[in-house]
Amino acid sequence: MTAGWVLPILLSAAPQPIPTRPEELRFDELRFDVPDPARYRHELPNGIEVYVAPDSTFPLVSLRVQLRQGSYLEPENKVGLAGLTGSLIRAGGTENFDPARFDEEVEFRAAAISAFGGDSRAGANLDCITPVLDQAMDLFFEMLRHPRFDETRLEVEKENLLEAMRQRNDDPGDILGREWDWLLEGETFYRSRRMTKDHLDAIAREDLVRFHEKYWRPENMVVTVSGDVDPAKILAKLDSYLLDWPGEGVHADWPPPQPTHEPHPGAYHVEKDIPQGTVVLGHLVPRWTDWESPERAALQIMDHILGGGGFTSRITKRIRSDEGLAYDASSSFGFDALGPGSFTVSFQSKNDTVALATDIALEEIERIRTEPASDEEIAIAKASLIETFPRRFESAAQIAGTYAGDAFIGRSHEYWKNWRDQVRAVTADDVLRVARKYLKPDAIVFLVVGKWEEIAPGDAGGRASMKDLFGGEVTHLPLRDPLTLKVIP
Amino acid sequence: MERAAAIINALALALLAADSVAGSEVAKVPVESFELANGMKFLAVVRPELATVSAGWVARVGSANERPGITGMSHFFEHMMFKGSRTLGTRDIERDLEIIHEQEQLQDQMRAIYREQRERYRLGEIEDPFADEVRPPELVELQKRFDALTGEERELMVKDEYDRIYTAAGASGINAFTSEDVTVYFLTVPANKLELWFWMESDRLLSPVFREFYSERDVVHEERRLRTESTPTGEFDEVFDAMFWQSHPYSWPVVGWPSDLRSYSLDQAREYFETYYAPNNLTAALVGNFDLDEARALAERYFGRLRGREPAPDVVTLEMDPRAEKRMVAECDCQPQVEIRYHSVPFRHRDSYALEVLAGLLNGRSGRLYKSLVLERGLAADASASQDSRKYAGAFSLHAEAKGGASPSDLERALLEEIRKIVEEPIPERELQKVKNQITASAYQRLSGGFHLLIQLLLYDGLGDWEYLNDWAETTLAVGGADVKRVAERYLDPEERTVGLYYREPEGAEP
Repeated sequence: MTAGWVLPILLSAAPQPIPTRPEELRFDELRFDVPDPARYRHELPNGIEVYVAPDSTFPLVSLRVQLRQGSYLEPENKVGLAGLTGSLIRAGGTENFDPARFDEEVEFRAAAISAFGGDSRAGANLDCITPVLDQAMDLFFEMLRHPRFDETRLEVEKENLLEAMRQRNDDPGDILGREWDWLLEGETFYRSRRMTKDHLDAIAREDLVRFHEKYWRPENMVVTVSGDVDPAKILAKLDSYLLDWPGEGVHADWPPPQPTHEPHPGAYHVEKDIPQGTVVLGHLVPRWTDWESPERAALQIMDHILGGGGFTSRITKRIRSDEGLAYDASSSFGFDALGPGSFTVSFQSKNDTVALATDIALEEIERIRTEPASDEEIAIAKASLIETFPRRFESAAQIAGTYAGDAFIGRSHEYWKNWRDQVRAVTADDVLRVARKYLKPDAIVFLVVGKWEEIAPGDAGGRASMKDLFGGEVTHLPLRDPLTLKVIP
Repeated sequence: MERAAAIINALALALLAADSVAGSEVAKVPVESFELANGMKFLAVVRPELATVSAGWVARVGSANERPGITGMSHFFEHMMFKGSRTLGTRDIERDLEIIHEQEQLQDQMRAIYREQRERYRLGEIEDPFADEVRPPELVELQKRFDALTGEERELMVKDEYDRIYTAAGASGINAFTSEDVTVYFLTVPANKLELWFWMESDRLLSPVFREFYSERDVVHEERRLRTESTPTGEFDEVFDAMFWQSHPYSWPVVGWPSDLRSYSLDQAREYFETYYAPNNLTAALVGNFDLDEARALAERYFGRLRGREPAPDVVTLEMDPRAEKRMVAECDCQPQVEIRYHSVPFRHRDSYALEVLAGLLNGRSGRLYKSLVLERGLAADASASQDSRKYAGAFSLHAEAKGGASPSDLERALLEEIRKIVEEPIPERELQKVKNQITASAYQRLSGGFHLLIQLLLYDGLGDWEYLNDWAETTLAVGGADVKRVAERYLDPEERTVGLYYREPEGAEP
């Protein structure tokens, strides 16, 4: 008999019978109240918001500084300046320590210190054991306030960036990410544009010094401290580092500018000789600022059902589990507080089944817009979102991080108090309504990196071909020179 | 100079203070362990501050337990374990099992045809024994009948019910991974739902049903295309591994050779399950907010149902002593780079600790490789070293990615030069102290975070003994400069190295 080898053998004298199905198990109620944000939020005399979550379980401390600024503030001919400033703040030494000495001071204490400059967020992090906290904080704030921007280290960093650029066409995922950003937001928008060798050559030490002076300032900061600290003491220490920061206080323009590029729906392809096409399809969705809106919870449930909920979601189930067309297949509805978000479906499938997997994804997008989701699907999505909710607040670092995240984007902490009730209130009609309102089949941009000769005809079974999708038309995007980003002729 | 001395003292004191915080010399995890009568081992760490329990189990089986013909089976199995049981995954278990049986009979006939296809392939009549275009009509017909049964089975199936039940219960991170030595299954549940984990995991071990056995092979093929065939260096890394390990089963990839993946039978899978998924070959671990006595009782009640078996066979093939240097020259769409690898020692070998200190001296921004290759000589964008301690054998690797006009051979020479310095020149005490400070700090860091701790417990117990988690720091802190020099000299013999030189493929070249 097929499975006779796994017949259960009951040996132990069970004190209670084991239920035949997991649904018969009964669980105690697990109460969870959202921690009171007022207990964690502080404000320094100069207005800097500080979130402190003490936890002395282990002798470990984490300090995070986030700044409301980013690459949107850099000149157009110096793309990459914000990022380079961030990395040189860490790598370029400080007033008192040359770069090698600074590295040595940090690593000898087994501390981890980093700094970065991103598109719409810059920041620096410190992680260390409590006994070295004072010395590590001295190093950390000296780095933030008095970076040396050592010329030699700048050259090393620039050379390394150049090497990173050379690899731009090596990994299909990198090509996909770049072209996708350009298709959606154009090649010149701050968060889609890419650095070229010309930009890199144009950036001099003086540019970094100025960028730091202007934008790495207390006025733009949100600070988070979690771990083995006494809140009163740590606040007094932060005062001592941050209150006498010299110079005029200037707030960076905030929020960053919005894109003006109009995406052109349709199919796009970049040629790469690999056995598997890597695909993203979707469109922009509006910038999200109304965090009280019940549409947010409805969209999260919609996303969970469509492709964001792992094996319980439709796109993963059909493309991976039913058809075996991909290892990863999922969707994501992205909420972005600072600019447009995006709705995307992503998967990788062997070249000749790209069309079939795409067909299924489009079918599922259409279905969630036209048919109400089942009660079971809604129930699973709700239960998952509600039951996993406490995990956002499980550790001191997570509590501090969650509330600091609110402060950074200007969202009220009250948002979390109502969140589970908003999820509970969502109905199948709500899901259908937001899917119709926010998913736009006519706006879909499809991008694949792979071997077109195999992708175009589709699978041998004749179940789908690229001819049947997007009006049978495709735009072949040329590969770009990795250093200039000019079209390779 | 005075300032530097003062800093050393400050840190020595500071670390002493840190020790007193933990109440012992270095941080240790309070692990409770117990074993069931059937040999299944449990590790428990109670963390009342958490709202969850991270739970999982490890099967002491990986690609090293395979043989030619069934390579990739351990990893494939990891996928099959999510397909349900006699209770979960179907509305009609009797018919479901009949369908699986009928499908297997068809697959037996198909395998007989593939045997002929391989013969035709050997004779040069066809290019690829598995290609759709060269399938004989009988095979097409059998596939049709097979697909019809799949359609019927799907009507009865409750798709991915295992995931659905967990997801609806608020479980997250439901996943698994397979390595050369272990297969680990894990997730996080709300603290009140620990019994659900006991129900679900004992159920799939007690009466697994390997549904969708043949369609899941396609998913694994896509995983291989994703991780190996479509990445810049994936296929060459596979070649390099196969070249490095001469006799040991570590020579084949965890995902398996594609032709093996096409050929497994359900019977082979069942035999594998019986051999390696017996309770005496498993360790479970729980980290989070739960009552220890209750967990113990649940373990007895649920996993006590599993029947102990003969111990799984040991891996008896030892790696041959290297006889000659080996070199691979690869051209790919990748940054020019070099990998130098030496045979070293396995998990918990007495020399593994000194080899880790050696890697510590070489790594980091203030470590020797970055300082020399990246900063001083400007040859590399990045350089690193690592000791890979597997269950049956180990390897020590040096890696560097080129910058500017430097060639992989330049990098190779520069890396070897750093090893020569370790062997021939004294190692400054402060440099060793830095590495030891980092070890002391990471002994604390690895304790925070329930899920991370769970994975370490399972991994270490799968490799040999979870106690490594608690004795690693102390043993490593006892390593001296002379030990580091000794292991460098003994294991990093230039004449026994394996070297991978990766060159960027010229523009426009045919792949």
